[in-house]
Amino acid sequence: MQVEKFYYDNKIVRNFAFATAIWGAVGMLVGLWVALQLVFPSLNITQYFSFGRLRPLHTNAVIFAFVGNGIFMGVYYSLQRLCKARMYSDKLSYIHFWGWQLIIVAAAISLPIGLTNGAEYAELIWPIDIAIAIIWVVFGWNMFGTIIKRRERHLYVAIWFYIATFVTVAVLHIVRSFELPYSWLHSYSVFAGVQDALVQWWYGHNAVAFFLTTPYLGLMYYFMPKAANRPVYSYRLSIIHFWSLIFLYIWAGPHHLLYTALPNWAQSIGIVFSFMLIFPSWGGMINGLLTLRGAWDRVRDDVILKFMVVAVTAYGMATFEGPMLSLKSVSAVAHYTDWIVAHVHVGALGWNGMLTFGVLYWLIPRIYKTTLFSKKIANLHFWLGTLGILFWAIPMYWAGFTQSSMWKQFTEAGQLKYTFLETVTYMKPFYAMRSLGGTLYLVGVLFMIWNLYKTVRSGVLVANEAAEAAPLEKEFVAHKGEHWHRLIERKPIQFLILSLVVILIGGAIEMIPTFLIKENVPSISSVKPYTPLELQGRDLYVREGCYVCHSQMIRPFRTETERYGEYSKAGEFVYDHPFQWGSKRTGPDLAREGSSANGGRLKKTNGWHFRHFREPSSMSEGSVMPAYPFMLENDLDISTTAAKINAMRTLGVPYEKGYEKIANEDLADQAKLIADDLRSDSIRVSPKKEVIALIAYMQRLGRDISKNKTATFNR
Amino acid sequence: MFKFIKQYAETIDNVSIYPIISLFIFLIFFIVLLIYVKKMGKERITTLSNLPLEDEEKNNSTL
Repeated sequence: MQVEKFYYDNKIVRNFAFATAIWGAVGMLVGLWVALQLVFPSLNITQYFSFGRLRPLHTNAVIFAFVGNGIFMGVYYSLQRLCKARMYSDKLSYIHFWGWQLIIVAAAISLPIGLTNGAEYAELIWPIDIAIAIIWVVFGWNMFGTIIKRRERHLYVAIWFYIATFVTVAVLHIVRSFELPYSWLHSYSVFAGVQDALVQWWYGHNAVAFFLTTPYLGLMYYFMPKAANRPVYSYRLSIIHFWSLIFLYIWAGPHHLLYTALPNWAQSIGIVFSFMLIFPSWGGMINGLLTLRGAWDRVRDDVILKFMVVAVTAYGMATFEGPMLSLKSVSAVAHYTDWIVAHVHVGALGWNGMLTFGVLYWLIPRIYKTTLFSKKIANLHFWLGTLGILFWAIPMYWAGFTQSSMWKQFTEAGQLKYTFLETVTYMKPFYAMRSLGGTLYLVGVLFMIWNLYKTVRSGVLVANEAAEAAPLEKEFVAHKGEHWHRLIERKPIQFLILSLVVILIGGAIEMIPTFLIKENVPSISSVKPYTPLELQGRDLYVREGCYVCHSQMIRPFRTETERYGEYSKAGEFVYDHPFQWGSKRTGPDLAREGSSANGGRLKKTNGWHFRHFREPSSMSEGSVMPAYPFMLENDLDISTTAAKINAMRTLGVPYEKGYEKIANEDLADQAKLIADDLRSDSIRVSPKKEVIALIAYMQRLGRDISKNKTATFNR
Repeated sequence: MFKFIKQYAETIDNVSIYPIISLFIFLIFFIVLLIYVKKMGKERITTLSNLPLEDEEKNNSTL
C-alpha cells in the first residue's frame, strides 16, 4: 500500500493552548476577586463588579474558557495523531477557534452588565446560547470529518470520550436553552419551578460530567501514556470505564435537589446512580495511575508526570466525595454550605487545572521543537499549585462543617443558638485563608505563562508537522463472527448514535414523568402569579445574581423551619420562570422573606429592606452582602412590562388577556403604596426607582401560602 | 405510553419502581459489557492500547 504524506495542523493546537493559559489566568483572577469580596465587601465596586455578577463570570470563565479551550487544545492535538490525519478543515478549525473566543468575550461583557438567564452555569443570554450551539456544531463537524477521513481503522478510547462529550453537551445545551425571548437580550426559561430545577441540575451536573470530566478523561487516556511512554494500564478497563461512566452520569443530576420539593422517586434515582458512579470513576483513576507502573521513579524528576499524578489523584478524591455527598444524610449536612464549594474546587483546581498544566508543559515544547525554558520554574509551579489546592480546600471544608453545625445548633431551651449573621461573620477568616490558597495557585499559573512564553521564544512553531501513513483500505473485510462492538469501534456515526441512546435513556426516564408532573405537582390554590411590579422586581433579583448566595428552598428539617418558616412545597413555584432555588447559602434563605407566618420573625418592613439594599452593614453589622445604592438611583424600566406579561402568559402563567395593556397602571399603584410607606418611615424615594420593585418582590416571597393558612393542597 | 408513566407519577406508592427499572437496565447493560470485554483478544488489546505511542519515535523527550 502506498504511504501518504500529510501534515498535522499544530497552529490550531497552539492557538487553543495560548487561549487556555490566558483565559485560565483571567478566570482565576476573577475567582480571587470574588473570594476577597466575601472578606472585604467594599471590593464590590460599582454595579458591574458586584459579587452576584462576577461569580457567574468566574464560573463561566473557568468552565468554558479555561477548560473549554483546554479540551479543544487536547482534542485537536490528539485526534489528528490518533486518526493519522490532519483536521478535516482548516477553515472550520479557524471558525471554531475565533467563534469560541468571541463567545467568551461576549460572556465577559454581558455578565458584568447584568445580562443573565439566572441559571447556574447556563447564565449566558439567548443570542449567545445560539452562538454556542453553532460553534459546537462546527467543532463536531470538524471532528467527525477528521474521524471519517482517518488513516487508522481503530478508534482509540480517547476518541470515544470526545464523541460522547460532543453529543451529550449538544443535548444538554439545547434542552437547557429552551427559553422564550421577550427582547433581543432577555428571555424566560420555558420551564418553571420544579421542572426547571430538574432540567437545571440534569444540565448542571452533566456539565460537570461531560464538559469537565469525559473530555479530560480522553486527554488522560492519550497524554498520560504519552508522558509516561507506556500504554494505558488496562484497555479493557478503559472500555468498562467509558460505557458505565456515560451511562451512569446522566442520571445523577437530582442529587443536587435532595430534600427539596422534587418528587421523591426522582431523588432516589439520583442517589442510587450517583453512588454507583464511584465504581467507574475509580476504575478510571486506577487505570490512570497504574499506567505509571514501572515508571514511578520518573515521577520524582518528571514535572509533567507530577502534574498528571496530582490531577488523577484529585479526580479520585472528587469522585469519591461526590457519591458520598449524594447520600441523603450527608447532603443534609453539606448542601448549601462551603463544603460543596470545596468539593468542586478539588475537581477544578486539581483535576482540570493540573491536567491542563501537565498537557501544556508536554505539548508546547513539542510543537515548537524546543525544550522547556525552565524545569525549575515548572517545579515551582507544581508546588505552588499543589499547596494552593490544599490552602484552598482545607479551610473551606472546615468552613462547611462549621457553617452546617452552627445552622443546626439549638440551645437547651430549644431556640436556635446562632443568628444567621453570626454564622456569616464567623466564616470570614476561612474565606481569607481560601483567598491565600487561590493566590498561590494563581501565582503558579503566572509562572507557567512566563515559562511557556520563554519556551515559545526559544523555538519555532512547526505549524505543519509532516507525517506519513498508509490510507485505509477501501474494502474492509470483517472477520468472521466479528463482535458487534468491534464493528461500532470502527464506525464513528454508529458510535455516536449508540452513545446518544445510552445518555438519552437516563435523561428520558427522569424527565418525561417530570414534564408530566405539571399536572401532578400538588397545586396550591392561594398561589397566584406575581404582580407586574413583583415580576419586575424578580427580574432584578435575577439580574443581580442574588441566587448565587441566597436559596429559596426550605428543606423539611426542624433546624430550617425554625429559622425560615414552613418548608417549601412544589406547588409554590409553578410561576417561577426561571426557578431561583439557589444552591448555596452565603446569605440566608429567602423563600419566606415576605411571610408573616412563623411568628412574623422573618417579616421586615419596607424601610428595613430599603436601608439594607443601600448599605447592608447598616442593618446587619458585619454583613458581606454587596450594597446596591445604584438601585436607589436607577429608574425601573417599565417599557418591558407588557412584553414580560405576554411572554409569561405564553408560558402558561394565567394573566388575563389584555392585562399587559393595564399592567403598568397596577405597577404604578403598587409602587406608590410602597413609596408612601417608606415616607412614613422618613425615607423619601421616587416610586419609579428599581429598589421599589425589588422590595415588592421581597415582600411577596413565601406569602402566598401563609396568606391562607388553610390553603387547600389539591392533588 | 404517557398514560402508563402518568399513572406512576401520580401514585406515590408505585413510583418507587423507577429506580428499580433503571437499575435493572443498567445491570443488563453492564453484564453485556463485561462479557464483551472479557471476550476481547489479547492481541487486539495490545494493538489498541499502543495507538497513542505510534508516533513516539520522532520526538521522545523534549523536557
